Amino acid sequence: MMFKKLIRTMGLYKAQFISMIIMISLGIGMFVGFNMEWKSIEINTEKFFSDTGFADYRIINQNGYSAESLNKIKNLKNVTDAGRYISVNAEVKEKSGDSLALTVTENKKISSFLVTSGEKYNEKSENGIWISDKYANANNIKIGDALTLNYKNTEFKCIVKGLAKSGEHLICVRDESQLMPDYNTYGFAYISPAFYKKTIGFEYYPQINVISDLSKKDFTKEAQKALNNTDLVLSKNETVSYSQANGEATEGKTMGTILPTLFLLIAVLTMATTMHRLVAKEKTQIGTLKALGFKNRRILVHYSSYAFSIGLLGTAFGIALGYGVAYLIMNPNGMMGTYLDMPEWKLYMPWFCFIILPVIIAALTLIGFLSVKTMLKGTAADALRPYTPKKMKPMLIEKTKFFHKLSFGTRWNLRDIMRHKSRTAMSLIGILGCTVIMLGSLGMRDTMNAFLDMYYNQALKYESRIYLSEEATNEDIENLTKKYNGDWSGSVSCQIEDKTYSLDIYNVKHNLVLFPDNSTNMTKLTDNGAYVCNRIFNDYNLKIGDTFKISPYGTNKTYTLKVAEVIRSVSENIVITKGYADSIKVDYTPDSIYTTVKKDNIKSDNAIKNIQSKQKIIDSFKTFTDLMDTMIYLLVFGAIILGVVVLYNLGVISYTERYREMATLKVVGFRDKKIANLLTGQNMWVTLIGVILGIPLGCLLLQYLLTSLAGEYEMKLVLNAHSFIITALLTFGVSLLVSLMVSRKNKKIDMVEALKFAE
Amino acid sequence: MNLVEFKNVSRIYKTGDHELKALDNVNLTLKKGKFVVILGPSGAGKSTLLNMLGGLDSPTSGKIFINQKDISTLSNNELADYRAKTVGFVFQFYNLIPTLTVHENVSLVKDIAPYALSATKMIEEVGLIDHLKNFPAELSGGEQQRVSIARALAKNPEILLCDEPTGALDSKTGVLVLKLLLKMAKSYNKTIVIVTHNQNIAKMADVVVKVKNGKIISNEDQQNPALVDDIDW
Repeated sequence: MMFKKLIRTMGLYKAQFISMIIMISLGIGMFVGFNMEWKSIEINTEKFFSDTGFADYRIINQNGYSAESLNKIKNLKNVTDAGRYISVNAEVKEKSGDSLALTVTENKKISSFLVTSGEKYNEKSENGIWISDKYANANNIKIGDALTLNYKNTEFKCIVKGLAKSGEHLICVRDESQLMPDYNTYGFAYISPAFYKKTIGFEYYPQINVISDLSKKDFTKEAQKALNNTDLVLSKNETVSYSQANGEATEGKTMGTILPTLFLLIAVLTMATTMHRLVAKEKTQIGTLKALGFKNRRILVHYSSYAFSIGLLGTAFGIALGYGVAYLIMNPNGMMGTYLDMPEWKLYMPWFCFIILPVIIAALTLIGFLSVKTMLKGTAADALRPYTPKKMKPMLIEKTKFFHKLSFGTRWNLRDIMRHKSRTAMSLIGILGCTVIMLGSLGMRDTMNAFLDMYYNQALKYESRIYLSEEATNEDIENLTKKYNGDWSGSVSCQIEDKTYSLDIYNVKHNLVLFPDNSTNMTKLTDNGAYVCNRIFNDYNLKIGDTFKISPYGTNKTYTLKVAEVIRSVSENIVITKGYADSIKVDYTPDSIYTTVKKDNIKSDNAIKNIQSKQKIIDSFKTFTDLMDTMIYLLVFGAIILGVVVLYNLGVISYTERYREMATLKVVGFRDKKIANLLTGQNMWVTLIGVILGIPLGCLLLQYLLTSLAGEYEMKLVLNAHSFIITALLTFGVSLLVSLMVSRKNKKIDMVEALKFAE
Repeated sequence: MNLVEFKNVSRIYKTGDHELKALDNVNLTLKKGKFVVILGPSGAGKSTLLNMLGGLDSPTSGKIFINQKDISTLSNNELADYRAKTVGFVFQFYNLIPTLTVHENVSLVKDIAPYALSATKMIEEVGLIDHLKNFPAELSGGEQQRVSIARALAKNPEILLCDEPTGALDSKTGVLVLKLLLKMAKSYNKTIVIVTHNQNIAKMADVVVKVKNGKIISNEDQQNPALVDDIDW
């Protein structure tokens, strides 16, 4: 019988029942979804890296390594395996403008690939190529097709033997200036060492890839000692594929912590308010059950099971929603699929979810339990008396003349707000949550777009970047620079303590490459010192005017640099001018020329390795902004649902609580519309306060997100006026919509019924 | 001229397959300025009759004329205007707005009633001038009912409708409230209709309408109504 009552109670309070389930589902859905996203990235990439033998370390020397050097590394203690390796960008002859990261790995257990279709990898094949399946699909390349790759005027005539995925090319980008993969124009390809040797006529491997569990510091020391050289050592954390995939997971963790916590907190608070009201409404029934002889324990179990059902259903739907959210982000054709190229896209839930979810259900049940417990205090006669809200006392503001000048409606609403503080507070929190999430999301978009716009449109003024070949002489460089009215740069990999950074030397005469400072201005490079990116500046606690030491790889030299200015950069680097480089006598070779001449108008030249047009990069990050936009829309949608559900739920509670008052107003002669306006007015005031408080909180959330993601991006908080306007309009829209939904019920107020009984 | 005229009024409530005839083909006329008591046991249909008269409910069939205007076909908004201008209600449980003070409860009618009287004056007349700033919860039952009377009269309606106005009060307070109702109705020249099951109240009325099983069983004028103080409560 009590079970029947339980089901009927659910039916009776279906608005509250459903809205609480939606709230819990939303909270848990966001929590599970975002946490599954990063966990799935972590496990799937980890497995992929392990299956393809992703190297822990890369030792690099452009002079190349002999078999003897390789053995020295292999023989090191704590080195599990090692192999020589090369990966260069080769042009695809059949597809003008396309290039592939042509890769050869001598040891197929290290930095290798998985064949997704076609022939098994054959180390002895003398014409076979295994190319990125995504590139092949984007360019309609089939197994058996012939492909000619050109690298430094050497042609590799290949037959496509199979399609592949590779851990080393998980995020397949040309260089760090490209944010997103673009498989229409760029992919990777593997050929066998035999084919490689046959084509170039000798063995040239500028890299040894190593599997080892040593720390970078120890490994570098050991390797450099064994090779008797200070060759560049890069750990996997310094590769694009590994660090960016990790970055995605970290980003997911940050998002998985803040937003779902906000959603869950609001859900639990709403649950507490609603359960209290619901039980208060059931007080006489509780009294009746008590008077009939039901023990407190049974009544407690009865109402707690109501809360438990909400928790259980909410969690079940939430997990389903979480899977949906995670799948939307994490599937090969979804958002993350445009970024990561890996074979498995299984979804995993972090272990703590299995603990937190039951804890949430328990907490919700406890809320139900505690709400009933207060109603059960005292005798059965006490319980039988209906719940009486607190008596009305005059507020402080009532002593002012101003208060009495307010309209009747305003005074009525103000007193209602004071009388039902917790309900008002909850509405306020709902609106705050809605505003904060919306503003935070839209702000993230503004910030990211502003950064991209500033970086690619204002800082990089060139049309094409010419990559110089290793053979280019100083004379070639000078001639090309003159010919194309270009600026040039060169890079040296160097160490600060045990981390690797790029020291970029620029010769900027035509302002084709500029460097943004921490406001949006462009720094004018001088010969007075080094321009350090934010991350290095902060990581080493530098100040302007401080000096710090760097040591380029492959040398035993150390240079002392003075910090001239802080700049914002996409990669972690230090920028100096040619003049400053000359003054401290750093060795370097220019490797790029920047020009306003379009790619098609640049003639091929032996000194030119490759030409990249800026437009290609800009096109590629359109995918990135699309991906981000989807996330933002998802969050804004979530915020709207959150707002609607919280406000509707509280609106219904408020409507029930004020039913008698509204019935009285109706009897006295107030029209439905006038009563609706009174209620809407109150919501609008609460919304206004919520929006006013929510805007600074949204900015704080955004700042926090940016600080959390500072390891990946050097962005400055930007919030456009239209984001504020959209946030305010949407929040007011949500509030107005809910007010209209609730006040439509006014027409159904039964005046006769409402006024029959004593309050 | 008749102030109120019920012509063949029926009100049927349907719940599922059940039909309840609360009013069954009622015909009734009431004159202006009279003190009318509608008397009957619980469930007789007297409150339904009052609700029809007050525009809180509409008949299933038949017509109700107030000042010769048919109110049985009015829209919701027109009914709200009718309640605002023509009738004032006094309920058994006062139905004051708990979040408004005495003065605000009375003066809120100013927003809707075009010929509203001064709220302060009404409160003074019901003897609560010292309680202007009190909230209903700070008043006794009798005092709350007096506020309710002040609110009903502040609209300056033609008819004052009272549903068991003394039902929730002890007899002493009830008498005081009745006296006040009569005094106010007289001094403002209002028609007053009281619904009750208390036979004693009927002794004071100009007209007594007896209702049973949804029908009017008698409608009599009393030539010499008793004075409140003469009745043995």
